[in-house]
Amino acid sequence: MKKKITIGGIGSILLGDDGVGPYVAGILQASYHFDECVTVADLGTPGLDLVAHLSGIDALILIDSVKNQDPPGTVTLYRKEDILRHCPAPVRMDPHSPALSESLLIAELAGEGPQNILLIGITGEQYHAGAGLSAAVRQAADRSILEVLAELDRLNASYSKLQAAPFSVWWNPMTEPARATSQV
Amino acid sequence: MSKRITIDPITRIEGHLRIDVEVENYAVSNAWASCTMWRGIETILRDRDPRDAWMFTQRFCGVCTTVHAMASVRAVEDALKLPVPANAQYIRNLILIAHALHDHIVHFYQLSALDWVDILQIPKADPAAASKLAEGLSPWTRNSRNELKAAQDKVKAVAASGQLGIFQNGYWGHPAMRLSPEVNLLAFTHYIQALEYQRKALQVVGMLGSKTPHIQNLLVGGVANAIDLDNQSALGMDKLEQIRILLNEVARFINEVYLVDVCAVAAMYPEWFKIGSGVMNYLAVPDLPLDSNAATYDLPGGDIMQGNVGGIQPFKTASDLVFRESVTEDVTHAYYQGEKPLHPWVGETEPQFTEWDGEKKYSWVKGPRYKGQPMQVGPLAQVLIGYAQGHPLTRKYADLALGQVSAIARVNATPALLHSTLGRHAARAIRAAMLAELAQKHWQLLVDNIAKGDLTVRNEPVFPFGESEGVGTHEAPRGTLSHWVVIQHGKIKNYQAVVPSTWNASPRDESGTRGPYEASLLHTPLARPEEPLEVLRTVHSFDPCMACACHAFDPSGRQIARVKVL
Repeated sequence: MKKKITIGGIGSILLGDDGVGPYVAGILQASYHFDECVTVADLGTPGLDLVAHLSGIDALILIDSVKNQDPPGTVTLYRKEDILRHCPAPVRMDPHSPALSESLLIAELAGEGPQNILLIGITGEQYHAGAGLSAAVRQAADRSILEVLAELDRLNASYSKLQAAPFSVWWNPMTEPARATSQV
Repeated sequence: MSKRITIDPITRIEGHLRIDVEVENYAVSNAWASCTMWRGIETILRDRDPRDAWMFTQRFCGVCTTVHAMASVRAVEDALKLPVPANAQYIRNLILIAHALHDHIVHFYQLSALDWVDILQIPKADPAAASKLAEGLSPWTRNSRNELKAAQDKVKAVAASGQLGIFQNGYWGHPAMRLSPEVNLLAFTHYIQALEYQRKALQVVGMLGSKTPHIQNLLVGGVANAIDLDNQSALGMDKLEQIRILLNEVARFINEVYLVDVCAVAAMYPEWFKIGSGVMNYLAVPDLPLDSNAATYDLPGGDIMQGNVGGIQPFKTASDLVFRESVTEDVTHAYYQGEKPLHPWVGETEPQFTEWDGEKKYSWVKGPRYKGQPMQVGPLAQVLIGYAQGHPLTRKYADLALGQVSAIARVNATPALLHSTLGRHAARAIRAAMLAELAQKHWQLLVDNIAKGDLTVRNEPVFPFGESEGVGTHEAPRGTLSHWVVIQHGKIKNYQAVVPSTWNASPRDESGTRGPYEASLLHTPLARPEEPLEVLRTVHSFDPCMACACHAFDPSGRQIARVKVL
């Protein structure tokens, strides 16, 4: 049995560097062919609905923006114990806040959580509405892809690079608006 | 002497719900709800193509993705007066229903059940007795002694490890927790099973919408699903049959587990039918259109003012003229510039941040008003508005639920009890049962329409020169959602989303009238003010969703919540 692997980009494409996870997922989908056992997903900004995406898989690779003390664009790898070291918020006011560690714990409780977890964190610079990725984070996105591929190698999953046109995201820059078609 | 308690979860997201309450003699004497960050996401839409707007709006929130997509295409279609083919209506309806069923199941079990269920009582339960108790309540086949014992063993293992993990932060042993060990065990067993059934509902969203969490199949004017009954890669009989089976399984879980559990828990906390009413103005819009022109709907809408259920004013359509003309947003107590409440089509969003001041400005949420009044939205509004106009499906499941509560608690549970914290939970389960039944109906409508030879899924939008305004509504899991668009020469000129949680989390307005969260917390008793479980019960009963969120992961673990007692 081949291992079931999910590669997920997490973050909001509307909020500056928070969009780097979906951006990397987009590049991977456009530029690589993966083993059948690999799913690549733009997971957006999930709450506890994340549980559905990490149940019944063997390995999880996430790409997300992180806030730490490093310079913008730093790529840091986190394993399961790093993610779970700090427990979920003691008082959950808003039931839909982000819930990576809680979702992992719930999936584990149900006996369905992935054994192998890698979070590829990219230190963000700004999170302004509509700002797009900053230069440092865009460069880091390429490095994070190498980390994804290295993890796939460790998991013995195969992939190949496609001869595809360069990837561009649909959400930025602005697309050409519809033209008004008739005069009043 | 009054104490001030602030519940401010400092999570890795910037922009969340904060509640401040004043407590006197072990009861809440005043309350403020605030949101801690502004994002200005709507400004991203200006000058964009209205046909693309839904792809952006479904990123407003990571949990309520589909609902913002749907409200957006409906807003543009309303501006263009563009009908939607019947097939597209049914496919959209099935997606909305499946999303709502997933959302309601997760809300009750994963997000709020542990406000009522004490995990640490579970090791004391007798699985055989719990199984026998369950048999008396429901025909559900997965309440066997063995299944309950397996769930109990999970809790025992977690408790024995000394690391409570997911359960680390509950208010276990709180005096307001009152279920027997056996009922706690049953509810927890269903907490585990719920994970399976919410996933089945989500699978339906993915099969029709081609992806989750962001559906791909919408178009202004319809949907992009190719219908071909004999083709496996299109929407054909194979896929439709799988969808039907999944929806039936979810429906069974809702009828035999979710609705039963809510009634049983409610019957054991009857005092919570008298706590948490608050704002008794209710608003819901019609939804699940039955035809191309959206002239008739399966779910009714309307308004109820001042708790006068008999004075219900029904809405004819989902963009009813009364609704279109009656919505404004008030910024008296929100961190924005502006004097007068403004209609969303001319809405302004100019930030003006000051420190939190309960007398002045204290929230990033604007105060939506309808006819100048704060409104409660959500399943309770949906159910009361349906019940008041004699909507048969609402009455069927509301009467069933009230009957079950009456039987277990040996009281006479009437619809008047629904104006409460428990009423909101009961109404959500009632709404879920209604939706589960309607899923089967809309599946059949779709199949019958295709069988007639109608394969149309889209009408082409035509953008006139000049300016047009539209409103798109959806009665989402958390209540009335409306997107307001102004289109000029084929481009978006203004866009405002008035979302359910802003209705409910609204701050005070120019007259000082409290919003629904704020009003609902008044007089709530607190057994231990330093552990404000009772406040959370009421806030969670609304199913708040403020996390239209920035998700940067914070590995330093600063995701602590602060409960500050002054």
